[in-house]
Amino acid sequence: MKYLVLAAFIPSIATAGIDAVIDEHILPAHEAFTVATEELAIAAQADCRAEAVAPAYHEAFDAWMGVSHISFGPIETLGLAPAIAYWPDTKNSTGRHLDRLISVEDPIVEDVETFANVSVAARGFFALERLLYEEKYTGYEKGSYVCHLVQAISQDLATLAATLDAEWQDNFAQTLRTGGASGNETYFTEREALQAVFTSVVTGLEFNKDKRLGRPLGTFERPRPTRAEARRSGRSLRNVTLSLIALRDLNDALTDGAATQTQAAFDRAITHAETLDDPVFAGVADPSSRLKVEILQQAVTATGEAVRIEVGPMLGVSAGFNALDGD
Amino acid sequence: MKLLSATALATTLLAPLPAFADKAAVLNTYADIAAAGYEDSLVTAKALQAAVDALVADPSDETLAAAKESWITARAPYQQTEVFRFGNAIVDDWEGKVNAWPLDEGLIDYVDSSYGGATDENEYAALNVIANETFSLSGTEIDATNITPELLAETLHEADEVESNVATGYHAIEFLLWGQDLNGHGAGAGARPATDFATGDACTGGNCDRRGEYLKAATELLVSDLEWMAAQWQDNGAARETVLSDENAGLDAILTGMGSLSYGEQAGERMKLGVMLNDPEEEHDCFSDNTHNSHYYDGLGVQNVYLGSYTRVDGSVVSGPSLSELVAAADAEVDSALKADLEATMAELGELKEAAEGGFAYDQMLERGNEKGEELIMSAVDALVKQTKSIERAVTALGIDAIDFEGSDSLDNPDAVFE
Repeated sequence: MKYLVLAAFIPSIATAGIDAVIDEHILPAHEAFTVATEELAIAAQADCRAEAVAPAYHEAFDAWMGVSHISFGPIETLGLAPAIAYWPDTKNSTGRHLDRLISVEDPIVEDVETFANVSVAARGFFALERLLYEEKYTGYEKGSYVCHLVQAISQDLATLAATLDAEWQDNFAQTLRTGGASGNETYFTEREALQAVFTSVVTGLEFNKDKRLGRPLGTFERPRPTRAEARRSGRSLRNVTLSLIALRDLNDALTDGAATQTQAAFDRAITHAETLDDPVFAGVADPSSRLKVEILQQAVTATGEAVRIEVGPMLGVSAGFNALDGD
Repeated sequence: MKLLSATALATTLLAPLPAFADKAAVLNTYADIAAAGYEDSLVTAKALQAAVDALVADPSDETLAAAKESWITARAPYQQTEVFRFGNAIVDDWEGKVNAWPLDEGLIDYVDSSYGGATDENEYAALNVIANETFSLSGTEIDATNITPELLAETLHEADEVESNVATGYHAIEFLLWGQDLNGHGAGAGARPATDFATGDACTGGNCDRRGEYLKAATELLVSDLEWMAAQWQDNGAARETVLSDENAGLDAILTGMGSLSYGEQAGERMKLGVMLNDPEEEHDCFSDNTHNSHYYDGLGVQNVYLGSYTRVDGSVVSGPSLSELVAAADAEVDSALKADLEATMAELGELKEAAEGGFAYDQMLERGNEKGEELIMSAVDALVKQTKSIERAVTALGIDAIDFEGSDSLDNPDAVFE
């Protein structure tokens, strides 16, 4: 009955936690993402060539790392996550769908509204990354089809970010804040709202461990450096670091800084990430440098354990179902 | 069973609540449904094996059609067992042998030129074992002169540690019976001719004898794998024992299976993603165009275990005290909402199935700008997402989520994980 005893303490922590999560984490991060993608769209419009767009692409991708772990709310109900970042892409869908658009010069790029009907594999950061960094597209000219495609994808990202931001501000912040209030059809209790945030922290850590780190690691006998996320633009490690920092912030807001063991675990993982000199995890194929990536992965695993064991009971929740369950 | 009675006794002494007796009965119903489901899968797989033998012995349009029909029949009970996969490690560790998907079918047999060759992900995506008696795999020379169940299971399946190297199971058999579906977003399944199994000059596609050998080996393996799993759910079987050994963990396994299949696997990976990718290759049963049935029976499996009732292939019913009753005793509102959600999902999946059977193929539904198709699929996705929320509420109502909090080395001793 430990569970019930803990439940008695919930209300104060819960209310403070949810407000902080919304006001200090979710809303500012979405605003930053909106601004960065707007700048990306403007940059691409001004000069679509790869060198000109790359800095804004990185800024926008950085900002996405600040919100990508928030897996509930409008991103879930509108199903926008794969449109913003379709990865892992085990069947080279991005390559195939881009080639299909380019080979027939599909006019769908001309209108941002109709562009939203394009396969998610040819939208978002990973489609843009291919066009900016893959050798086969290098040197595309202003006015070319690829140029228009770069502009369309950038504009589409700005639209997606603005949609999410507006949904949070106008609707979902209130929904999350008023879990348990009459008329709240999403969260029947305050605890369910907490559980949604908690599940996001757990899932975000799992994604870093299993996908961003686990995919390139493969096995000792068969490492897979070409499976590293965003390796073409050299962002594999950077994404892990920024994602861990964002998850730590979310967790601190959720627990009002009270989960000290979890904080320590986050700090340890982030320090490992920041001191690792292996931007695209190319080192996984070499036994000695591989160990450093493995240690980072273990530190992320330990953080996930800490969240489950320390933060879960503190809030009186366990993780709900998440999108990685099917894997 | 000694251990079990000791546990039950201890539980009774500690907390003499009447509800505790029900938990064991609910878990028994669950295990009975699993046993019946895998038995039905086995029986229908044996029928498939007989049809495959007939096809290889006498390849004709009729024997090929009969084998395909048997495959589709065999899928219905199997899909209803998918709900046992998540939550039961013994099933999850095993299921890749029989139901791995998606596959790079070029590993097995000839493919269209549009398929391409080896990929970044998979060096052996176009290996074509049927056409090659020897080949090199991860630096080892392989002798595939004889295509045996052992070769498929131990050498080819997940070769080079690539998951899409699927050499065994329903989908490998499906590919051998139907061939690639080259209709894109158009209607129509794969159209492998029966002459792909013919002898002598009548043989099309080359190496017909090896194709027949492969098909027979894969079917034999499916039967033996299902035999093994069916045994695990019999009295004293390992899967049943595990479920019964800890009541709360057992209930958690049921709900984990229901929620994980509903949300991450079916709604997400199998359905929503296909719509968002607009890609006919995202069809689950893509060679046979049987995806609508695959989705339908997955959904039905979830409802079966909650209501504690399964209708077998022979029409008889296996039923008993249900999880639904247990949840209702804890919180009647949560139970009725979940029951209504499961029913709504089945109505949506039923509509999808009906539309597909009426000629609106699943690959057509996935086409860019096909609003009717998107609506049909996404309504089912939304229903599955909604039922997942209710499943989470059932977990909470039963108070079994606290079992997640059991101790861990890494917290008691943070350095332990680095050792």
